[in-house]
Amino acid sequence: MSELENKSPTSDNKNKNGLMAWIDARLPVTKTIEKHMTKYYAPKNFNIWYVFGILATVVLANQLLTGIWLTMHYVPSSEAAFASVEYIMRDVDYGWILRYMHSTGASAFFAVVYLHMFRALMYGSYRKPRELIWIFGMTIFLVLMAEGFMGYVLPWGNMSYWGANVIVSLFGAIPFIGESLMVWVQGDFLISGATLNRFFALHVVALPLVLVFLVFLHLLALHEVGSNNPDGIEIKDNKDEKGIPLDGIPFHPYYSVHDLVAVVVFLFVFCFILFFMPEMGGYFLEYANFTEADNLATPEHIAPVWYFTPFYSMLRAVTYPLFGLDAKFWGLVVMAAAIAILFVMPWLDKSPVKSIRYKGWYSRIALLTFVVSFIILGVLGVWSPTDGRTALAQICTVLYFAYFILMPWYTRKEQTRLPPERVTGRFISIPQLILAWVLFIGLTVLPLMAVAAESEVELEHVEMDLTDTESLQSGARTFINYCMGCHSAEYSRYNRVAADLDIPEELMEEYMIFGEDTAIGDLMVSALSEDLGANAFGIAPPDLTLVARARGTASASGTDWLYGYLMGFYEDNNRPFGVNNKVFANVAMPNVLEGLQGIQHCEDTEHCDHLVHEEGTGTLSEEEFEEVVYDLVNFLYYIGEPSRLDRQRIGGYVLLFLAFFWVFAWLLNREYWKDVDH
Amino acid sequence: MSDGTTHSANPNAENTVNTKRRRFLIGSTTLVGAAGAAGAAVPFVGSWNPSARALAAGAPITIDISRLNSGELLGPMPAWRGQPVYVFLREESTLESLNARTEQLADPDSEEDQQPEYCQNEFRSINPEVMIMVGLCTHLGCAPILNAEVIPQDYDPEWQGGFFCPCHGSMFDLAGRVYSGVPAPDNLVVPPHYYETDSVVVIGLDGENS
Repeated sequence: MSELENKSPTSDNKNKNGLMAWIDARLPVTKTIEKHMTKYYAPKNFNIWYVFGILATVVLANQLLTGIWLTMHYVPSSEAAFASVEYIMRDVDYGWILRYMHSTGASAFFAVVYLHMFRALMYGSYRKPRELIWIFGMTIFLVLMAEGFMGYVLPWGNMSYWGANVIVSLFGAIPFIGESLMVWVQGDFLISGATLNRFFALHVVALPLVLVFLVFLHLLALHEVGSNNPDGIEIKDNKDEKGIPLDGIPFHPYYSVHDLVAVVVFLFVFCFILFFMPEMGGYFLEYANFTEADNLATPEHIAPVWYFTPFYSMLRAVTYPLFGLDAKFWGLVVMAAAIAILFVMPWLDKSPVKSIRYKGWYSRIALLTFVVSFIILGVLGVWSPTDGRTALAQICTVLYFAYFILMPWYTRKEQTRLPPERVTGRFISIPQLILAWVLFIGLTVLPLMAVAAESEVELEHVEMDLTDTESLQSGARTFINYCMGCHSAEYSRYNRVAADLDIPEELMEEYMIFGEDTAIGDLMVSALSEDLGANAFGIAPPDLTLVARARGTASASGTDWLYGYLMGFYEDNNRPFGVNNKVFANVAMPNVLEGLQGIQHCEDTEHCDHLVHEEGTGTLSEEEFEEVVYDLVNFLYYIGEPSRLDRQRIGGYVLLFLAFFWVFAWLLNREYWKDVDH
Repeated sequence: MSDGTTHSANPNAENTVNTKRRRFLIGSTTLVGAAGAAGAAVPFVGSWNPSARALAAGAPITIDISRLNSGELLGPMPAWRGQPVYVFLREESTLESLNARTEQLADPDSEEDQQPEYCQNEFRSINPEVMIMVGLCTHLGCAPILNAEVIPQDYDPEWQGGFFCPCHGSMFDLAGRVYSGVPAPDNLVVPPHYYETDSVVVIGLDGENS
């Protein structure tokens, strides 16, 4: 025992209390803390690019924690999954925060991981002796993609469904075994409940275990060889008499306080998105995913979530068959190769130096071109393809691969500079940095502008107001009286609407709830059964709880669409109900509000820009009718996300708190670093 | 960061470290951080509360007691918050003898908070003839069995009619009051309720009693 204690490596440990010594003799707690924290010497010249590793860890913790909590309420079955997500969003206390934390976290994960990878490319962190760190990291990226993909399927929205369909169909491109492989992966002849269940198991149990284990290996390997730095030189080459690198500084407390500042800044951005724009304009949560999975109707515009789009673009860019194999197969090969080639980076780079700081202009141009083409591919992957866009995607795919394939050549060929003996601080001057950004943005945006230009039906913008309780109450009345005859709001409960809209429960029960068996706490299900609806209209009237969210597009909000739609009925005797719609051509729905609005005519049947009201029809004046429609749309906006106002209110407090906390973190960081020469 | 020690890797800094200032900054940052962590825990803790669905399912129920026969429980068994609700009639004679053996009861005057205030009386009910209570033993939650007849039982040769819990042998009288010397600590719970009419009872709300 005493011998063990005497081996205590630091002077601190002499004063250690008995318990810690007792544990250390049995479990290397102190030793581990020292090896990985207090005596892990990191280069003292880390810049902002070195925070993304720790941020990825923060996001991983967030995903694990919120993920565990979501499984407490989520139901992994094709019948109940979609409803259970809405149950989390509405019925579970704070469920919406947990869900948005997880969905925002998914995107944040990829954002920080991409930046983390870019850092490695820039400073040569993949080079010898860090090949294994890089390979573990790339494997993490690969597992993360699988994790992200399967997680995206779980809400069982229509985009989940068709996204899964597209990706799983890729397996079908493999010659000979493809078709049967696909069926095996799906466990059915289509994406179904069987697929959902296995994806659920992989997403919540198997892959997270693998991920955590890989992160452990990634860090273990990193701490074995030591961190790289922006100069790409080894700090271990210059040590003092005690064997401590002269340019090293203990990770704890120096980088822990440093990272804390970065973490708080990151959380600020993260929470801003989470509380104020959780859909992120349809990029984090896609609009079409607010409609339940339907194996018979593909969303009009299908795109994967943003973090997959660069690879998706490459897949789509391959349009030529080759060697008797069709383009579909080669698309898969290109996409797989785009990821696989990253694994061999350590052996492609033949430069005598690691960091971009001392590499030549070939490498710099190559890296810039690579990043630009990667981002262009990402943007193109979100857009629907046109000839111009496909051509641009093809060029960018070639450039993407050129970065790797030509690397052995250009890294040997170019003129490099001799890195310094010891680490240095800022390398690039502010004007240079600005110039680099301008160049980067210009090169990215200009080619995209050339192929952009997509015109859609112009919709008038109508600002909704959830604080206008009177409007919401009037909208609720209209909804229940005119819409609920056929449509449900089956994820919402009457009593929630009553509480949120300040409607007394007795009034709600008396005037707004029909059906004797319906209680105030029940879901707002229409009396019209689905079968009956399908017979009457040829198509079952869709549920409207989420319609205001589902109808959003890149160019207009869902509420603008709804407003335009409800105002846009006009007489058309070729249609079954005698009306057509300006915004939703050939819609199956009759104009339920016609009694109020009266009849509208379309003068120019070709474009139907302007509708003319027929004098003397309708019980309401034009202004009165506009108000009725506005209130109804406002109500649909509310019911699409009843916690919206809470979200924004809580978000304000959270951001205030983070700003306050940041001051402390910043002062603490400054206190530690003020005397460090770096 | 929170251990309060000062590490000084930089030899130049050794003498300039202001330990007091560091300790203060570490302490205050930790404190604010802990407050943030507590705030972040709120959604995780809060999400374990009964959801709106559970609350809706546990909403007050309305039962019709017009077809109640003496000597048996109201059937089909009503459930409030998923718990069985025992409703049964007590004859005049039962009510008279109900408080004859009170020395054997653990809480004859219903002093423990196992019933609403308006049922804290000698019969533990609003209407003496109608007994309403949650049919779950206060020991470990089994459903006691009604044995209304006054005949000797294995578990009590002087049985006066009441409830016997088959799980661990707890006994209750016909007012749901627990006998002494059995595992159950308390009387059976009387749920909040009120009479909408003479034969319609709402369970789960104090209603006009409040």
